[in-house]
Amino acid sequence: MTTEMSPESVSGPSSTDQSGPESFSTTASKVTTVLGWLSLASIAALLAFGLLISPPEISQGESVRLFYIHVPSAIVCLYIAFSITFVGSVIYLRKQSVFWDLVAGASAEVGVVFLGFTLATGMLWGKPTWGTYWTWDPRLTSTAVSFVLYLGYLAVRRLDMDPVARSKRAAILGIISFANLIIIRYSVAWWRSLHQGTTLDPRDTQLDDSMLVSFFLGLVALSLTFAWLVIHRFRVAWLEHQLEAQQLEVAIAERTASAGPTGLAAGGA
Amino acid sequence: MVDNWPHSSLQRSDGSLTEIDLTPVEPSSTASRNKLRNRLLMGGVLVLLGFVLFQALTSARVFFRNVDEAVAERAEIGDQTFRMQGVVVTEPAENSRGAITFQIAFNDVEANIVHIGEEPSDLFELGMPVVVEGHWEGDVFASTQILVKHSESYVADNEDRPGVGENPTYESESNDGVG
Repeated sequence: MTTEMSPESVSGPSSTDQSGPESFSTTASKVTTVLGWLSLASIAALLAFGLLISPPEISQGESVRLFYIHVPSAIVCLYIAFSITFVGSVIYLRKQSVFWDLVAGASAEVGVVFLGFTLATGMLWGKPTWGTYWTWDPRLTSTAVSFVLYLGYLAVRRLDMDPVARSKRAAILGIISFANLIIIRYSVAWWRSLHQGTTLDPRDTQLDDSMLVSFFLGLVALSLTFAWLVIHRFRVAWLEHQLEAQQLEVAIAERTASAGPTGLAAGGA
Repeated sequence: MVDNWPHSSLQRSDGSLTEIDLTPVEPSSTASRNKLRNRLLMGGVLVLLGFVLFQALTSARVFFRNVDEAVAERAEIGDQTFRMQGVVVTEPAENSRGAITFQIAFNDVEANIVHIGEEPSDLFELGMPVVVEGHWEGDVFASTQILVKHSESYVADNEDRPGVGENPTYESESNDGVG
């Protein structure tokens, strides 16, 4: 990802120049442009297959179509997004790498959006099938807990405190929160549950072909969209980090100048 | 694309920078004690989490019983509210007071259900696995909520396929959980 960052894309505006957005470089690159178009194309294909080509289900009827976005969205946030946050957090704690700290944060931010989408589509699906939007079922409850945990993670990332200590705390929370994903994964096996178990059994021949295609299109579309969003989100964060570092340097220079030759040696203010 | 990341607050609208306190911070003598306290606190939280998880795992079965267990434990359950799961084995009917009456079964043990409350979903019918919430009133289970468990299999609704009523594919799952 870093190799795509051209040198001028991180320059940003100078600290004394409050100019318009034209002084910012774009966060887009050839790779993200292609990724963006692929996301759009796969979403179009998903809409065609999910809404038009695939048949209604024998007992659920039309509401089965929520399956093609609900499950892929859950897979993208729970398996991909928060795993990236976990890995980024571990690497950050070991190497204090700002890059991985920002990757972890960007992935969690987009992941929380997908998790909210998963909960929303699940509730919309629950009403016509189960008969209720929400019930305190093990999987629903553990997923709601994760949603709150990662909201907390994002809140910690914005605490007004020393950036290094803040990133450390966020990383620790990013690792702890990951443990709950294991509970979500096995909740339907450990507890009796209203929520259905794992759907994608490779031996399961019950899934109609066009349903299977719709599901995989959902997986591809949401994964590509996720990747596109995370790369852009990371680049914005990276630019902000550069800007902050630059401003700190200017601030130090200004202070050194104002304090005079003996200013800093005397211990400052 | 440019969002309000907190670090940018270093810069004022006139372009100057807000003052940053660059005074060296005295290393705290209580730092190591704080570290120990934090670790103890964190350990305490983890132990508490483990306890809650253990409690949830062991009590989950009490809250969510299969019909055969609920019938066997009827005396000790008393009038406690709990959830019972089974498959609808008789055609649901509406009685004179507007209640829905039907029977559900699990492991060949049946129970009479009288449901007064919100209408169940359209999927509710003979042969579907359900979870009912309520309590025992004598031999009858007084239900306040019917939740329909949909199965993991998705079958295309083709015209040449028989309807659900003629082809009940739903069987009681051996979902025994941990308890």
